[in-house]
Amino acid sequence: MNRMSIVFTRVTVFIGLVALLAFPFAARSQTPQATPPPPASPRSVEFPRPVEQTLANGLRVIVIERSDTPLVSAQLLIKNGGEIDPPELPGLADMTANLLTKGTQSRDATQIAEAIEALGGALESGARWDASNVTVGVMSAKLGPALEILADVVRRPTFSKEEVERLRQQYLDNLTLALGEPGSIARFVAARVVFGDTPYGHPIAGTTESLARISRDDIAKMHSRFYRPDNAILVIGGDISAKDGFTLATRYFGDWQKPSVAMPAVSAAVDAAAATKPGRVVVIDKPDAGQAAVFLARIGISRKDADYFRGIVANSVLSGYSGRLNQEIRIKRGLSYGAASTLDARRDIGPFVASAQTKNESGAQVADLLLSEINRLASAPPADPELTPRKAVLIGNFSRSLETGGGLVTQVASLALYGLSLDEINHYINNVQAIGAADVQKFAGKHLDAKTSNIIVVGNAKVFLPELERRYPNVEVIKVSDMDLNSALLRKKQPTK
Amino acid sequence: MIRNCFVRLALITGWFLLVQVGLAAQSRMPQLKYTDRSLPNGLRILSAPDRSSPTVAIQVWYHVGSKDDPQDRSGFAHLFEHIMFKSTKNMKSEMMDRLTEDVGGFNNAFTADDVTVYYEVVPSNYLETLIWAEADRLSGLNVDDSNFKSERDVVKEEYRQSILAPPYGRFEYLLQQKSFLVHPYKRPTIGSIEDLDAASLKDVQDFHNTYYRPDNATLVVVGDFDPKELDAWVDKYFGPITRPDKPLPRVQVKEPARKGESRVTEYGRNDLPAVGLTYLAPRQADPDSDALRVADAILSAGESSRLYHTLVYEQQLAAEADANAEVREDVSLFVLTAVLSQGKKPEDAERSLLAEIKKMQDSPVSAAELEKAKNQIITEQLQLRETSNGKALALGEAAVLLGDPARVNTDLARLQAVTAADVQRVMKKYLTDSNRLVLYYLPEASRKTGNNRPEETAF
Repeated sequence: MNRMSIVFTRVTVFIGLVALLAFPFAARSQTPQATPPPPASPRSVEFPRPVEQTLANGLRVIVIERSDTPLVSAQLLIKNGGEIDPPELPGLADMTANLLTKGTQSRDATQIAEAIEALGGALESGARWDASNVTVGVMSAKLGPALEILADVVRRPTFSKEEVERLRQQYLDNLTLALGEPGSIARFVAARVVFGDTPYGHPIAGTTESLARISRDDIAKMHSRFYRPDNAILVIGGDISAKDGFTLATRYFGDWQKPSVAMPAVSAAVDAAAATKPGRVVVIDKPDAGQAAVFLARIGISRKDADYFRGIVANSVLSGYSGRLNQEIRIKRGLSYGAASTLDARRDIGPFVASAQTKNESGAQVADLLLSEINRLASAPPADPELTPRKAVLIGNFSRSLETGGGLVTQVASLALYGLSLDEINHYINNVQAIGAADVQKFAGKHLDAKTSNIIVVGNAKVFLPELERRYPNVEVIKVSDMDLNSALLRKKQPTK
Repeated sequence: MIRNCFVRLALITGWFLLVQVGLAAQSRMPQLKYTDRSLPNGLRILSAPDRSSPTVAIQVWYHVGSKDDPQDRSGFAHLFEHIMFKSTKNMKSEMMDRLTEDVGGFNNAFTADDVTVYYEVVPSNYLETLIWAEADRLSGLNVDDSNFKSERDVVKEEYRQSILAPPYGRFEYLLQQKSFLVHPYKRPTIGSIEDLDAASLKDVQDFHNTYYRPDNATLVVVGDFDPKELDAWVDKYFGPITRPDKPLPRVQVKEPARKGESRVTEYGRNDLPAVGLTYLAPRQADPDSDALRVADAILSAGESSRLYHTLVYEQQLAAEADANAEVREDVSLFVLTAVLSQGKKPEDAERSLLAEIKKMQDSPVSAAELEKAKNQIITEQLQLRETSNGKALALGEAAVLLGDPARVNTDLARLQAVTAADVQRVMKKYLTDSNRLVLYYLPEASRKTGNNRPEETAF
């Protein structure tokens, strides 16, 4: 449901040239001054301080009090996600998390949806990399009943055969939708190219083949091994006192038994050799693609890397509306609706991805621009008049993400997941301000080498391939019908005659 | 809020909830206190101070949208919106980004059928700067040809990214295009590549002269400011802009009532077929809009909604099923869509959608279902109003599209007053057989030669 009809915006997601022939428009009148008035002095900000307790069963409970709106958000995290999928079963962690809300010992799927929606809210669950989570948002007076349902679905899911089959079909349908879109194909392929057969390499919501293989037993086993209080974090934020938060957490999660067996060992992850291998250029030929998706992808850093703040500032120089990628690709050349990059720092080394969608004709040109911008960042430090605003962007985005209760819980949950100090939300601004131009260049030189970066282009290859091959001698072309996301080979094995 | 470049003002199924008793929910809904004043040149200013965080949201709503696109220039109002970020008399290209993004704020803009809205959120010490900047670009543009052409290329890429690349982008485009016979709403906001190519700098100048005038603009400011200072800055920077003598042109075309079901089949690069039903519905300000909005929520908000429960969950016919009370200023659409599951037939999805409509026409919805829907809608509003920018959006929509800023508060009471009988009545009144358009959007591979040829399209 939505209220307004479809609208088009200037930019999605994130938020001067020499005039050859100026076309002077007759202004109807003049504003009284030709330069902008300067800013007044700024006001300072302070974010709430999270408090925490660990229950006897090992569950870590965090409460963040902020009472300006009568709403509360809660998130239960399990400290593992898609990275624990067995190699032959991509999608298992995500299906397991998704099925939590599809039936417990006392409620079926319909009863769960009705119970939570009658309260006015929704219960969402799923897996991502490094974590699985269940979230709920309620009016503060209703937190009790909502947490009761949250605890029920985390602790007592039944994974009925019927629900497993239903969800399997939904995942297959969603995958069919994703495989029709050049951007999502490029994301799947980029992960395989960067991570190969290691734990971050597969599609987190599965492949056509793996979804067919996942059984109810696999799901129940994953739940019993990983969904345990000593592998979980509960974060509650909004219009709630710490005392009430801990009382409710104890009421609904206090008797959750910790299994006597130790947590299964989880092997980490990324192939260290990936940092030194020469980059590949992979083309997925999708002849009916209405646009080409162009990705530059490589390994980045882990969340606990000492270079983290250098990294996010370096990424901010590249990304965002006025970042270098969008400046060069959209603003100067009109080649895309938007170009951006992400430094996705995870428990283990995560990916760095820069991307843009463009008409098929300019696929090779955009690939070149992505690579040359990565090179440029490593070759010279950004000047201060460029760097200062890019740091302001990061600080502004961060501060706005904490404006809503849901945003506050998400930020704190992420710090908790990676074992970082929860008070980092109050040090973030200083940490960003401390980064200098030399740090940015150093980071790019150490972590974003263009020579070991990969290029992935998904689109109508016959339009851009000749130019791409002229620029790069090592282009690998895979027809979309031959593409196989189940392994690092990316190509279906030819049937032997 | 923004995904695949479609902004929907209201978010899908608010996940914050309210209490079970509607009246209690209403009493917890904080009233938005605002000031409403106008300058002699016609500019209206709505403002609401909120000093809880040191930021301020500034919006300018222009009462011009894609329905006002010039002849043979579909997509122009939206292209123009992009051009508003290029040079003005006193600002060079992208200076808006210097004044917002570079100081830790952000800006964006959107174009819909009826309005074009520009907005910024900045640290509050930059408020005067932004009032100056918005006044400057209302005063006049000063765009050169190379900037114009490169931004037009950006918009063409936006077209490709939203309509050509996603499997169902063109389906949504066609649903709107085929739903209107004569009203300019039949030209979707993004327009067509041909019409964008035909646009010139002269068109930009004419459009600014015609529609970008103080008596067609509403300035909304919400957040950390001193009301006296704000008034003085608005007077200083917007006050001198003159109101043109010419009357504002307004779309006068009336969409005729439909006189029987019409059916369209189109083919695309989707792998799973999709089915859409559209019905003409009354204009946004009509009192029946409230009941249609409740009907929308009952059909499609959350996993206990009727369409999800029946088509997706029980029958497993559809991967997605949705309903939208798609409100517009002149005439609205009530839209139902389903993207089919693997191996299912569009005829079966159509039959199930029609059966769900009939159920709501034949018997009233239960009290619990009605209450749930109202709580979901109010929750959505509460969530929207968590931020200054969200509050400003709600205020601007009430003033410009509903004609009265007070409706930012009173509409919630109107919504509470909707009864099960109202919902049944509007379902019977508007979702009739003779008021229906049926669109099948089928995979290209399933096209039969010789029959079922789609009518000609812009592609």
